[in-house]
Amino acid sequence: MGLDLAALSRQVRELSGAAVHTAAGAARRATLARERYLAAAGEERHWAQAVDLSRDTASWLLARPVERLDTARDLPACPPAYAVVATDGSQIDLDRHGSVACYLINIGQVFIRYGQRPTARLGSQPALYYREEDLYVSDGARRVAIEGNYLSARRDVEEGLALADLAETSLDGTLPALALQDGTLVRWTLAGAERFVQERFLGQYLGYLERMRARGIPTASYISRPRSPEVVGAIRLLFCPDVDVAAGRGARCAECSDARAGREPSCALCQGLVDADVLGPRLAEGQRGPLFVSMSTINIERYGPHCIHFFHLRVGREVCRVEIPAWVACVPEQVDLVHALVYDQCLRGGGYPVALARAHEQAVIRAADRRAFARMLEGSLARAEAASAVSAKRESKEFSRL
Amino acid sequence: MNSQRIGEIIESSTTRFTAGAYELLAAPPFGSLVRAVTRSEGLAVYGLVYEIRTGSREPGGRAVVRGRTYSGRELYDEEIYAENPDLAEVLQTEFSALTVGFAEGEALYQYLPPQPPPVHYSVYACDADELLRFSAKNDFFRAVLFATHIPGDELLAAAIRTVAQARPDRHDYLVRAGRDLAGLLKDDHDRLVALLHRIRP
Repeated sequence: MGLDLAALSRQVRELSGAAVHTAAGAARRATLARERYLAAAGEERHWAQAVDLSRDTASWLLARPVERLDTARDLPACPPAYAVVATDGSQIDLDRHGSVACYLINIGQVFIRYGQRPTARLGSQPALYYREEDLYVSDGARRVAIEGNYLSARRDVEEGLALADLAETSLDGTLPALALQDGTLVRWTLAGAERFVQERFLGQYLGYLERMRARGIPTASYISRPRSPEVVGAIRLLFCPDVDVAAGRGARCAECSDARAGREPSCALCQGLVDADVLGPRLAEGQRGPLFVSMSTINIERYGPHCIHFFHLRVGREVCRVEIPAWVACVPEQVDLVHALVYDQCLRGGGYPVALARAHEQAVIRAADRRAFARMLEGSLARAEAASAVSAKRESKEFSRL
Repeated sequence: MNSQRIGEIIESSTTRFTAGAYELLAAPPFGSLVRAVTRSEGLAVYGLVYEIRTGSREPGGRAVVRGRTYSGRELYDEEIYAENPDLAEVLQTEFSALTVGFAEGEALYQYLPPQPPPVHYSVYACDADELLRFSAKNDFFRAVLFATHIPGDELLAAAIRTVAQARPDRHDYLVRAGRDLAGLLKDDHDRLVALLHRIRP
């Protein structure tokens, strides 16, 4: 017997009721937050300082404004011909209950050229990792298994390296071009990692961004339905009674004066809001919002010349987030190009960049492929007469005892 | 026999084979003769194209309409392919052929070969000379007329018209073909008449 659907349905109904209630409240608070945010337009320098002052002491994420807060830039003209490269990856994680330690990363690769000479190349490249140096990161004394979050980090690195290879072989510089990734360029998963693990993965990842920078290929990532609250974090500062830029004081959540006085913190209004809630309604179709710098520690401290900036973009009913490294963000023409090309990709893809959708289709490992891979592995191990046995737990899950 | 390679076998059995076309939407015409090579040197299998289809390479995938873009622009036909170059990579044109004979060296046989053409082996369009040689006999008519799950009468009529176009003795050939059909369908007058209508010069 699996899921008791009768017992579940009552809880699902309760959930739906609560969701409606929450949404109404959030929309009202988002409007208030937006009004306060727009009132601060023109004072970006001041609030950028407030963000810098609060970076270490605020207990929420922050974004530093780079452009006017009320920026709503119209869609620039899309070049008639351009090329786009994209990669996406999927993985089969290390199976602790399986017979041998290994994992698989499949990278989908896409090159599409539009215009006078339209063409496309789609493909995927699987790689099986099983050597000691693939399974563990080590600094001599300690070693950490590459699984879970760290495997995702490794996949991100592989996606980046594949994108750099693809860009170098496919883009000849004769057309405007864009290199596109899915998800974020900020490697959050490594933020809490041990230093030597961070060195290894982040070093390789920044190496990929450096290759893109050296070749001058605008690189961006696309986040559909972003849930990040970084701009909202900056808006919290606008409400914070403790921020005093002139006195060099930022928000200090541990010493919140509202909380000490027994009041609800003034910024509680922003609780649960995300950037898209606040910025989205201001953007008309194809318009982008202002550029911000993501103030996450790993970005500020480790990314250097690649420091990740982002803007929001309206595509139909969705407000997406586009991330770009500093060397793209500081050249207005390149920002315009990314803006125009990402939007064009979304148009062609019915709301989601077609290059990313194709890369995903190439990368995805379906259930049938997973089973085929497992069989191939078991069969090959058996033929090689390698000692192999699945765990008792796995065996019990595959066959129920009757 | 140096005609153009047009596709590659993706499914193969004793009586029929299916090939993927190298170029999207460029399958040989219905009723045309194609030749598939085999592992044995000099042994080639002949088939008549009875079905052409284009669809997603992904199992279960379906095409979406693309003629009206999000921004309200209208795109027509070839423009849609030009605007979406990735389509050529995710769609595939396939054609299936009914096996009607084989060549071994110089000899031609109008019955089933000892082995079907292997998967991934090449398929070629037959040129006029080859068509002429193959149509010297009409023994394959029977196999086409009585094959199951294919539009056999339509296929044979199309094949006869194609061969007739290629032959200098067009009229004589059609008369001969009609006579052979009459022999095969002597018990089914209606069907014979319908077929003759389809090949009438």
